[in-house]
Amino acid sequence: MADTDPTREASAELRRTDRVRCRIGQRTGKVAVVTLSARTRAAARLGLLTSSLSRKMGRGEGMVIGGRVILRLAPDAIAEMAHDRVAALVSATNGKTSTTRLLATAVEQAGPVISQNTGANMTSGVAVTLASGDPAAQAVLEVDEAYLPAIFRATKPRVIILGNLSRDQLDRMNEVAMIARRWRDMLADATDTTVVANADDPSIVWAARHAPHVTWVAAGQVWTADSAVCLDCGSLLQRDDSTWGCPNCGFARPTPTWTLEWVDDHGVVHGPHDQRFDLPLSLPGRFNAANGAMALVATVELGLDPAESARRMATVESVSGRYAVVKVGELTIRLLLAKNPAGWSELVDVMPPAPTPVIVTINSNAADGRDPSWLWDVPFERLRGRVVVATGDRRRDLAVRLLHAEVDHVVIEDPYAPGAELPDGMRELAVVDCAATYTAFHHLRTSSDRQAARRS
Amino acid sequence: MNLTVVSVYPTLLGTYGDGGNVMALRHRARLHGIEVDVINIEPGDAVPESAELYVLGGGEDSAQTAAANALRADGSLKRAAERGAAVLAVCAGYQLLGEYFPDANSAATPGLGILDIRTDRLPKRAVGELAADPKEPLTQTLTGYENHAGATHLGPNASALATVRAGIGNGDGSEGATTAHVIGTYLHGPCLARNPQLADLLLGWAIGRDLPFIEEAEVTQLREERLRTVLG
Repeated sequence: MADTDPTREASAELRRTDRVRCRIGQRTGKVAVVTLSARTRAAARLGLLTSSLSRKMGRGEGMVIGGRVILRLAPDAIAEMAHDRVAALVSATNGKTSTTRLLATAVEQAGPVISQNTGANMTSGVAVTLASGDPAAQAVLEVDEAYLPAIFRATKPRVIILGNLSRDQLDRMNEVAMIARRWRDMLADATDTTVVANADDPSIVWAARHAPHVTWVAAGQVWTADSAVCLDCGSLLQRDDSTWGCPNCGFARPTPTWTLEWVDDHGVVHGPHDQRFDLPLSLPGRFNAANGAMALVATVELGLDPAESARRMATVESVSGRYAVVKVGELTIRLLLAKNPAGWSELVDVMPPAPTPVIVTINSNAADGRDPSWLWDVPFERLRGRVVVATGDRRRDLAVRLLHAEVDHVVIEDPYAPGAELPDGMRELAVVDCAATYTAFHHLRTSSDRQAARRS
Repeated sequence: MNLTVVSVYPTLLGTYGDGGNVMALRHRARLHGIEVDVINIEPGDAVPESAELYVLGGGEDSAQTAAANALRADGSLKRAAERGAAVLAVCAGYQLLGEYFPDANSAATPGLGILDIRTDRLPKRAVGELAADPKEPLTQTLTGYENHAGATHLGPNASALATVRAGIGNGDGSEGATTAHVIGTYLHGPCLARNPQLADLLLGWAIGRDLPFIEEAEVTQLREERLRTVLG
């Protein structure tokens, strides 16, 4: 027999398939051949075309509509396009976009990588991302918590990073325990995937502890209010500075293989055999060091050089506009994404100290969560001693919250308008910190892009 | 004067910003010249029986069952309510004051029997703004956000707190329930920040005299905006 298989050739011809050489696993250096059905190829082309048309018509990034076209025409497109080339999926309530960007940048040491650049992290966003770019590139994908099980099963990633779980967008019914249960079921038979999981978040540990392959990372947990109770028996968990456990049933923090230490405003990651890696990230704050630590460990699991990963991650300065300094109207602002209590409680430390005034923008569109009750879980008391500009569609909810927190505030519909009555000293600031919920954040980002385009 | 407010199991029952109700009570009390001492009670701690006001928030299914079991075993909350202490209970906290409520698997779970209500499942989860016209002595339309799957049925010993104008509430056109100085409601928001008259009613019960209503511009503006949004 020759080295061709006639049956396979015929069926391939019948299905008019393409063959795309695709890299998997730098560790093994294996090369796989991926066959995309004609149906998926056509769907991918049409989907990308739709995305691009939608973008040209100024209707956002077009990821959702493009992805819908792909999945309508070829429901199995994600599985086909993902075949053996998804290096990692990343999910968490907070930090998934930043972690994904850090990891994708680190994995580029082994060749081209595709990843979302818009934060489109549901099924359609994943479909469009896999359809775009180098078809042989490895994929590092951010995935929404609720969509993770379906996308995990379709993409069979080599590594999955699970960072943290806390209350977010409760109107979508993402109660933390429910998500943890779905993740646990998803991982039960995940024999081909290594889970890189945060040992400091009890909900993450509960979801990941029975997975076949887990690497525990002590990445820290500042917000504990959503993991107060043992998910096994309902008892109150006991915590001290370094560990946690259930006094009733014995559910406890696993011994981490990797540990993040926060020293002098940057992260240090300690690994087995006295390994030690500095994380001199450009992204600010301890929470980004936690994102970086999870990404660094994921690159170790992918067989990459962690020192090189750390060097590459340090080059990431802004992730999809987070921490970007932009001009909006007459003000130069630093964009901070603050969408839930856990994220907020970390972000307050990144803001300049009082009495420097800041802007807080609260919307309640679908992507922000329709119910801004979560503002009452944010420790706004820590902003006392300065004036806060309350803006966004739900500025009045914020004003009432700030009233109760005894934080001085002014409610301004558009603080970027020329005549806006801003707090004393705000116009004189070189950069004003502006924390905003998801849709407000994107609105500011695109307004500043439009403004820049007009100037050029 | 000082007033003791007990926040009942805030880590179990506080998912939807309901901790804000305690902040609102403290804030309103200060406007009236009353200082509030807040005691946070967690499962395992004994619930004090002699406080003037008790607050329970919403929570996830398993936390709700854990809270109901712990409070039934403790017994103090029921005794306090029976001697006339003021109680505000929201969502999961409201349901567990009743005869029974559905657990995570929809099985009927015994509550505390403080309110004459029984809760089973709505055909479809109620998520969205809720507005309801209250009964005497409240006069201001109640506003908040609901997020629950409970259909709550009132028995003869409980009165509805309000009549729904927008949203679902108990599921039969009524919203919340009250008996003596106990109020249960599906309103998050948190409800006492968005409905200061309700906060004043509870504080008045707790100190034994009616409090004059004090208006705050921020709150009035928020209420007008919310009611305009849902009622047009």
